[in-house]
Amino acid sequence: MVKEARYLYSVARTGHIAQLGSIGIQENNVYIVPYKDIAAIVHACEAKPYRTEDKKLAEGWVLEHSYVIDQAMKMFGTVLPFSFDVIIKGDDDVVKEWLCRDYENLARELLRMQGTAEYSIQIYCDYDYLEKLVLANNQELCDLKNRIEKESKGKAYLQRRNLELKLKSLTYSETGRLADQFCSEIKPLVKELKTAGRTSWTPEKYRDKKLLATYSCLVSDEAVKKLGEVLEEINGKEGFYVRFTGPWAPFSFVRLSEAG
Amino acid sequence: MNPEKESCLVEVLDRLLNKGAVLNADLIISVAGIPLIGVTLKAMIAGMETMLEYGIMEDWDKSSRELYASQETHLPLFPGEQILYKAFGYLREDEGLIKCWVPGIWNITSHRVILWVKTPGKILFETPRENLRVLRVPASHEVRKELELIYPQGSRRISLSDRNEFEEALAGTAEERAAKKGSELLITG
Repeated sequence: MVKEARYLYSVARTGHIAQLGSIGIQENNVYIVPYKDIAAIVHACEAKPYRTEDKKLAEGWVLEHSYVIDQAMKMFGTVLPFSFDVIIKGDDDVVKEWLCRDYENLARELLRMQGTAEYSIQIYCDYDYLEKLVLANNQELCDLKNRIEKESKGKAYLQRRNLELKLKSLTYSETGRLADQFCSEIKPLVKELKTAGRTSWTPEKYRDKKLLATYSCLVSDEAVKKLGEVLEEINGKEGFYVRFTGPWAPFSFVRLSEAG
Repeated sequence: MNPEKESCLVEVLDRLLNKGAVLNADLIISVAGIPLIGVTLKAMIAGMETMLEYGIMEDWDKSSRELYASQETHLPLFPGEQILYKAFGYLREDEGLIKCWVPGIWNITSHRVILWVKTPGKILFETPRENLRVLRVPASHEVRKELELIYPQGSRRISLSDRNEFEEALAGTAEERAAKKGSELLITG
């Protein structure tokens, strides 16, 4: 097996040669290739991508990749994380050549990410509670509800249906308004904020809740505490639940393509 | 509240497969420079043929190089026309119901800029080199590096792994042409 390529985990700011040990994908030896004050964190591999039909094996590789990035963060602080399966064809000299060629880009990104990390925020709400709240605060709907109770069976059915639809639509716009409000409270505390798409996974304890918003935030180290306080406040409101995770490498914010 | 360092497999997969920096992930062929390989896990299930078809090169093996090399000979050229630059890339298709990036090989010849696809062997786009302008546009996608080709009849958005090379190739040959014909090709950065 000729290992004429390098699997790339991340780029960090460090000028020293270091070994991270056999912590890479399939227990490969992970080491750093330095150029000036930056370095690529790699393992030597064959010049072909990691691919398999075995889902479990593939997931294992991804977790191993993630672990290396975590370790690199512990050793070097900020890192620029690379996607799974990015492989440079060539030996350490070719990696060095790439670092040299892209130095300006990489150094700029490292500087931008310095002293920051990515955090993930999910805000859930208790939909039934919110609906009750919307109903209680809307005189028109309250009146309608009271009238229904006095109506004949057939008429009451249609009006109840009407009430449900109105209530649903109002509750939905209320969730939108709240999401905007929370976003405006979070935004001033973070360097960058991205509204993430819906995650297909919800932790067990939020299963019966409705996801109001998901944000990926780039947060500077000193702002994390304040952000935690704001989130605590949201979490303290009745019917609202916040999941706050991190710090992660800035996966959602690293930009290597030249601006413009 | 303090952030928790907990994440589930789905979240890790999302980060590692859909986010993070990518190097020319699905744009492999390049005339000069360092070859990079990158595929997504999604591509793992796709066969070699499909990957070549859609530009996700899985390897630099002989057969794939030959497959690409063979395209060159099939591109119909005018008498005396020469291919000066060739790189894998995309063309933005905004007309019609489906808006997408169409993959192919960008060719800069002595006369034209052409997007050529092997199957079914046709020119998807071509424009004369005369009065052609190139503008860099902000990428709408992390991976893609986009350019706008502006020509007298209109403009199209394209993307290539290495915009510099493409621009240099255009500029380089423009100088020759300018010297020859006194015509000028404007490149803006």
